[in-house]
Amino acid sequence: MGYLNNSVVTVDAILTTKGRQALAQNDGSFRITQFALADDEIDYTLYNPNHPSGSAYYGEALQNMPLLEAFPQETQVMKYKLVTLPRGTAKMPILDLGYNAIVIKQGASLAITPQTLNYFGGDTFETAGYTATISDVRLFNSFDGVGINTPEVQALNASTTVGTSVSKTVVGTTINLRATTVNTLFGSSATSLYATLTVVGRDSGARVTIPVTVNKAS
Amino acid sequence: MSFTRLTTDDFVVSADSISSTLWTDGSPSLTTSFTSSAQAAGSTGDFYLNVYQTAATESVQFALTYGNSMGSGSAVYNPAVDGKSPTSTVYGQWQDLVIGDENTDFVFGNFTSSEFFAMPFERACYKEKLFLGSTALTISGSLGTIQLTDNSNYVTSVQFNEAGRVFQLISGSQGVISANANDPSTGYTSDSGSYGWLLPDIGAIILNPFALSGSLAAGGCGFIYSGSGYSGSATYTSNTAAPSQMFRAISGSLGGSINKPFFINSEETITSDFIFVRPRSSEYNYSSNPSFISGSTGEVLYSNFINNPQTYMTTVGLYSDTNELLAVAKLSRPLVKDFTKEALIRVKLDF
Repeated sequence: MGYLNNSVVTVDAILTTKGRQALAQNDGSFRITQFALADDEIDYTLYNPNHPSGSAYYGEALQNMPLLEAFPQETQVMKYKLVTLPRGTAKMPILDLGYNAIVIKQGASLAITPQTLNYFGGDTFETAGYTATISDVRLFNSFDGVGINTPEVQALNASTTVGTSVSKTVVGTTINLRATTVNTLFGSSATSLYATLTVVGRDSGARVTIPVTVNKAS
Repeated sequence: MSFTRLTTDDFVVSADSISSTLWTDGSPSLTTSFTSSAQAAGSTGDFYLNVYQTAATESVQFALTYGNSMGSGSAVYNPAVDGKSPTSTVYGQWQDLVIGDENTDFVFGNFTSSEFFAMPFERACYKEKLFLGSTALTISGSLGTIQLTDNSNYVTSVQFNEAGRVFQLISGSQGVISANANDPSTGYTSDSGSYGWLLPDIGAIILNPFALSGSLAAGGCGFIYSGSGYSGSATYTSNTAAPSQMFRAISGSLGGSINKPFFINSEETITSDFIFVRPRSSEYNYSSNPSFISGSTGEVLYSNFINNPQTYMTTVGLYSDTNELLAVAKLSRPLVKDFTKEALIRVKLDF
């Protein structure tokens, strides 16, 4: 990891771990069809609408900042998406999962039904559903999304992940998960396994990440 | 919405030929070379000698091997079976790879030879193929030195064999015939044909030992290998004698009083996928960044962001239909976006 040279505007592009996996599968799953933009690394509290030199300088502290190179781990980039909302939006959509953190016992099940607050004037369940990404799929015997039945979502939800410590993404209006029953993952002394769950509203772009802990059954 | 679909107009595929220096450290020429005594003494040492750029012998640049149809130049596998030795194995291997006919010998220019030295370059060094007209390889012998290059600048009809394109090695440097060549019209020797072949498509050079062993008057440099002199063929010796002698003939030319480094470049075709990302004026003007909002209610941080929001894009994510992040691009500095600005970002993915 290093800083990018920002004396000129350049674009540093890499494949993510998921992208390399899709290429290796050689089944046509590596097909770029859409883009999104993000403002990772930006701290908007540095924006100064009271700058004495006027509005041209409000973003002075942000617009020339050096940026880090891209990370290949797809769960560590595109964290904070830019979203398209009507002009005049005063409140940003935010996600409510019903949990600030998930602590689950080995073999136990849990269903999460996300809700989007402040979206188009109220609280709503997004019709396109939610994208849920678990950073280490080994922690769960099952990690499924239900409620969205379009062909591409069904294909995504049916896909399997090969390898160790690889994220998995599912789409649904409800996310069902069941913690692993495999003891070997805990090694000889660990009593807990840790991961993160990232949920993104497919319509709103609102995003939340919460820690996930799977405790070993005694 | 936080995703925009790309259209066919947003994709451009381009294939560009890129040439670069062949050597591991990126320098334009090889000025020092080393071998590994451990590799030479091992089982592979019977067949070839690896040549490294540094004394640490970490990165192989090329190998040197000697092939002889009669098996001369190395000890036979079994004293009861005459003519079957590592050099005959190497000869058959390259005959199969390059000529594709076990009954045909190598013809260097107009000279038929049943022995050769081969110099296969490391794949990571030559990448896809050798770059024509870039070679300057100096061989030193007992009578002097001879500098070799390929004749790609002088052929009107490219010759092909089982290894793809074939170019003759001639007296000269970096694609230009030497003014002092024995035959200034072809760059060949007077009686042993060309100095060998450049096989760009398999990343190898084949050297004609008869041309190199000849006298100065004949266009050679008096290169002596396996104690044979210019008597026609190598004698039986133990394992890597002949490749070692060729290594000394090359290595001895790189520095010292001769001081003629080895130049050769690689070439590869890089296929790039250019993706044009075009956020419109009305798009991507708000952010899900936690610092964009105030408190837990989702209110935007500053009141002027309600009607005149400004975002600072730093990252472009390229997604599949199923919203899986396949590639990511980082800008070198944030790009301001608001309702009065549009952007055009070109993302290049190399394959």
